[in-house]
Amino acid sequence: METFLKIDDLSVGYWTRRGKVGALVGIRLEMSEGETLGIVGETGCGKSTLGKAILGILPPLTEIQGHIFFRGRDLPRLGLEEYRRLRAKEIALIFQDPMTRLNPLMRIENHFVEEILAHESVSKAEARSRAREALLSMGIHESRIRNYPHEFSGGMRQRIMIALALVLKPSLLIADEPTTSLDVIVESQILEILQDLKRVYHMSLQLITHNMGIVAEICDRVAVLYAGKLVELGSAHDVFHKPLHPYTQGLLASIIHLDTKELHSIEGSPPDLISPPSGCRFHPRCPYAQQICVEKEPPLVEFQKGHLAACHFGDTFL
Amino acid sequence: MIELTQSGDTESSEILRVENLQVHFPVKIPLLQRIVQREKAVVHAVDGVSFVLQTGEIMGLVGESGCGKTTVGRAVVRLIEPTGGKVIFEDRNIAKAKGGTIRALRREMQIIFQDPHASLNPAMRIGDAIGHPLWIHRSGSQSRASFRREARENVLSMMREVGLTPEEQLYDKYPGDLSGGQKQRAVIARAIILEPKLLVVDEGVAMLDMSIRAKILELMLDLKRKHAMTYLFITHDLATAKFICDRIAIMYLGRIVEIGPSKEIYADPKHPYTKALLSVIPVPDPDKRKEKILPRGEVPDAVNLPLGCRFHPRCPAVLSSCGWEGRDFLDLLDEHLSDPKRAGADETILGPIEDWWAKGLVAGRKTGPADAAKITERIRAILAEGPAAMVQAVGTVGLQGKNVIIEFRGPDTLAQTQVGERIVECLLYQN
Repeated sequence: METFLKIDDLSVGYWTRRGKVGALVGIRLEMSEGETLGIVGETGCGKSTLGKAILGILPPLTEIQGHIFFRGRDLPRLGLEEYRRLRAKEIALIFQDPMTRLNPLMRIENHFVEEILAHESVSKAEARSRAREALLSMGIHESRIRNYPHEFSGGMRQRIMIALALVLKPSLLIADEPTTSLDVIVESQILEILQDLKRVYHMSLQLITHNMGIVAEICDRVAVLYAGKLVELGSAHDVFHKPLHPYTQGLLASIIHLDTKELHSIEGSPPDLISPPSGCRFHPRCPYAQQICVEKEPPLVEFQKGHLAACHFGDTFL
Repeated sequence: MIELTQSGDTESSEILRVENLQVHFPVKIPLLQRIVQREKAVVHAVDGVSFVLQTGEIMGLVGESGCGKTTVGRAVVRLIEPTGGKVIFEDRNIAKAKGGTIRALRREMQIIFQDPHASLNPAMRIGDAIGHPLWIHRSGSQSRASFRREARENVLSMMREVGLTPEEQLYDKYPGDLSGGQKQRAVIARAIILEPKLLVVDEGVAMLDMSIRAKILELMLDLKRKHAMTYLFITHDLATAKFICDRIAIMYLGRIVEIGPSKEIYADPKHPYTKALLSVIPVPDPDKRKEKILPRGEVPDAVNLPLGCRFHPRCPAVLSSCGWEGRDFLDLLDEHLSDPKRAGADETILGPIEDWWAKGLVAGRKTGPADAAKITERIRAILAEGPAAMVQAVGTVGLQGKNVIIEFRGPDTLAQTQVGERIVECLLYQN
């Protein structure tokens, strides 16, 4: 069976005046149908770049190497027109800030009509009725379909964004920090909606976030990125209970939750990606770093079935 | 004015007392509408908030956006003028203080905002930014040169204190060269360089990565211990608040619904809103996905506040006496009509939602006597779909003049009740 999504040795580099920023380096990752994968890491680790690379919306002149196979097609090698047809129809993206992603001068209805007509040859009336249905499924009454974005609250706008992303029934939904600008209760409501949708449509969800708490809540598997590299990958259970990479351990320890007894943080700050540290990129901040970590880059090794980590001493944490 | 005894440096000296604070913002409405309506629309951002801060304690002000927590913070440091009530800082009511007095107050109280990047002037060196308050509050007699020298020394030692090292090098950097955590340290250094007694921290760690949040919180705890600084810690994150706050106040739509010692509130929350906020905090363990108590819908707008308890339309533990009113029925009706499965023929019997009106405890629509019986029957059926407490609150349903109306019995008076060491504003705990 062909893999649903297979990222093979993907590297993405941005050119700046100071040199090339290696935003992603040698990422290998697979996702199966109906799965929820969490992509976590600190600001600047490349997690948003990964989502954008899949959708092919990186800025022009970005250097992309490697493959992203989506149902057998190699995405970076698709023609523009082919890619356009795939977006929204098969892969959809929800951004962090719903206000800036909706056109303030356009009625909600027209956002939907425009998207549907761009991908399917149906009548305008048909598109409108599908828009109504999509909004209803998100709990937004059809009397409001002709309103403008500013007439909705933050939570409703995010629900509209979700409805918009799902109206063409994509098989992969990428959610980039979908709840970060929302309040805690609305955040919970949105997460619940996302989980319901997964059950109903059997959709795959890639959740990009820095919030480990919500990953624990809805993800099946977790991928941890650090400074552009994949440092750990495994089931949510394994990663949360037996983190093999010291960075993941640090991230987990720094979560502040209701049972937190002591505050922990990771010393230092993420490296400059123009001249990343030698060997393991985490070694300057790692409490366990040895000489080998400075000299040799650790490969991503499968320490247990389905649980991979890029650390020379991964087996000591088993 | 209230005379408060000066208790000096004893442990329980009161530094700030907020009494019945009100901040209302006028809503801009078109002239014509203003003439017709003849009433002013105001946002009740803060509507009767009272609390006391003791020297050296950290009080958390927790709630969702729009609950008025930031407005309370701003009114306390007098960035905005309260509409009513008192802000008594060290025995003086500063609620109506003006220009010069407020400026002098800034030596005593400072505020830190959420976004460290936006709080720093991108064209100002870090050292200059941190020392800027010294410059603003310098005494006129000192010569420029000696002031400069002293200020630099002062800034450097402050930078060491907040962990902004190597301080000599960072002094001449611009905000753009610093990481998020470093910027927030610079903002803290700037806020405390005048050694204020009270620090208002408005979502001070919300923008930072989890991995550095702990460091900044530790720094704040450290400063509190060293300088006996008092904090008003404004946040939406109950987990963070638990860690550093001695006392917690939960706000909802302009009012404090529960206030008391952190320990007590986290161990045994009383107000249904507090319970809901606590239940949504994620547990970082995929094997312990828990049931959540989610309130329905979202925070209503603060212009037309719900009757009675402001949380009643969303409350999972609502009673019949909590404040059910006409528009609550319209909300239920709207929900009913917009669900094709439930609505059936109701739209033809009851008419579109636009035909309905709500005023105070009553909701209704114009109709002829012929249809009244049928409509009344449908109303009763729809009510049965709503919360049980709502049905119990219904007084009369029937024809009144040319209208079919549904009238609710009024709410009981809500009062603040002492439960243990905390004060809670909820009918569940009133006798």
